[in-house]
Amino acid sequence: MSAPAAPTATIRVDGLSKRYGRQQAVDRLTFAAGTGQICALLGPNGAGKTSTMRMLVGLSTPDSGTAHIAGEPVSLGAAVLRRVGVLIDGPAFVPHLNGTDNLKLLWAAARRTWPPPGLRDALDLAGLGAAIDRKVKGYSMGMKQRLMLAQALMRLPDVLILDEPANGLDPAEIRALREHLAALAKAGATVLISSHQLAEVQQVATHIVVMNRGRRVSSGPLADVLAANPAHRSLEDAYLAMTDGRHQPTDAMTEGHRDAAR
Amino acid sequence: MLRVELTTQLMRLRTLIALGFLAAVPVLAGLSFAPEAGHRNGTQTGLFGASPYSALNHTMASLEFIGPLLLPVIVCLLATVIASADRDWGLLRYLYVAPVTRARLLTAKLAAVAIATALALGCVLAAGFVTGLALFGWHPFHRIGSPNLSTGDAIARALAASGYTLLCMLSIAAIAFTLGVLLPRGAEALAAAVAFVVAASILNGQSALHAVAVALPVHYWQNWVGLFEPGPAGGLGTGALVQLATVALCTAVSLAVLHRRDPAA
Repeated sequence: MSAPAAPTATIRVDGLSKRYGRQQAVDRLTFAAGTGQICALLGPNGAGKTSTMRMLVGLSTPDSGTAHIAGEPVSLGAAVLRRVGVLIDGPAFVPHLNGTDNLKLLWAAARRTWPPPGLRDALDLAGLGAAIDRKVKGYSMGMKQRLMLAQALMRLPDVLILDEPANGLDPAEIRALREHLAALAKAGATVLISSHQLAEVQQVATHIVVMNRGRRVSSGPLADVLAANPAHRSLEDAYLAMTDGRHQPTDAMTEGHRDAAR
Repeated sequence: MLRVELTTQLMRLRTLIALGFLAAVPVLAGLSFAPEAGHRNGTQTGLFGASPYSALNHTMASLEFIGPLLLPVIVCLLATVIASADRDWGLLRYLYVAPVTRARLLTAKLAAVAIATALALGCVLAAGFVTGLALFGWHPFHRIGSPNLSTGDAIARALAASGYTLLCMLSIAAIAFTLGVLLPRGAEALAAAVAFVVAASILNGQSALHAVAVALPVHYWQNWVGLFEPGPAGGLGTGALVQLATVALCTAVSLAVLHRRDPAA
């Protein structure tokens, strides 16, 4: 597919490649996501989703290609990351500190004054109640995930990059997260999520990028991807067709990206 | 970031236990010497023999006892944890995306290591002094077989000895910190750092390996004892230079590793 990178896109990835030893994790990946979009990065395990997200937030240096957020190139510790809420490679906290102290620690690390602007809503979404004042080492996986989401959301970011955000959440929590993300996108944020929960993605995403073996196999507005083949009744149908090698990549869907980014 | 490092590492229970352990040794030693207050400690010579004479005597004897092994082991523990805990917990990636730059992260960690090292040394000195004051009282600094030191002279020498030991401990802290940055897990770094202290101490004790020992920072750690003996103290300048060179080398290696390593690798 040709490069669809839109100059005004909030997230822009151009020809991104990354190799770990013999493994080509990401291969000349190009896509863009604009304001108000919820873009889902899809693909089977090992497709390169998390590697892409790592490069997008500066945690990994691409072998070639560039990643931009809000027009600024991203590198490790880049200032533009102050505008980005991140959940990547699962939750991580200081185990002997409580939930609030962990949030304060990650907030203060970037020389910011407590409290963050979106703290109340983020904590409402996390729904930890009195457990927020308990040591994190006693949290369940789901509680850690919700606290990490609160950490990403409390800064009211312009850009959200969430790797498997629904992991460990129950259906009610997933719905609450979906509504929160939709509200943020409506308010002008750009959201990039990776997920294997295709039914969930179909409810929340406006756009998708499908990867397989490090390469993009499809991208564009979700509706366009689904409409491209009438035989595909759901995102799951389309996704499975794309990732088992029978799908022919198409550029038609990239127009939506340009439209959204304008 | 410095506050983050201090909050996450120094206020941990294990850190407080380690520091408490350091403080407990002078207290227990003082209690065992208490019946001999104002007299020589058995047939011991040097600082150990004069320990029950005064608070400052007990302080310096405590430092001589703890300095070669226990203090550096605790310093290794603190330094490796500061270097590697956030990576072990997976928190490092969230600090980088907070965002925190590599330079700021390294500066904060090095400052935290220096503070932790000073705190560990301070625990030994404070515990030795308070215990000595309570059990032996404030008297002129006694030297076996030599005239007592005046109060001013003794305090000056004690400060010089403490400063020199701090520099020595900073060098082993720098080695442990570098291992913490280099090795994948904090536990591995701690084991390697402690193994280094033990192996270097053994090498230092072998006269046949003198040529090797002089290259090790451990070789110079007890040179400060000469400050409390008759005649000029030797080897302090060389010792200080070796420690400074070790700190500089380790800092450079840590910086290079942090800058070259992909945090997601």
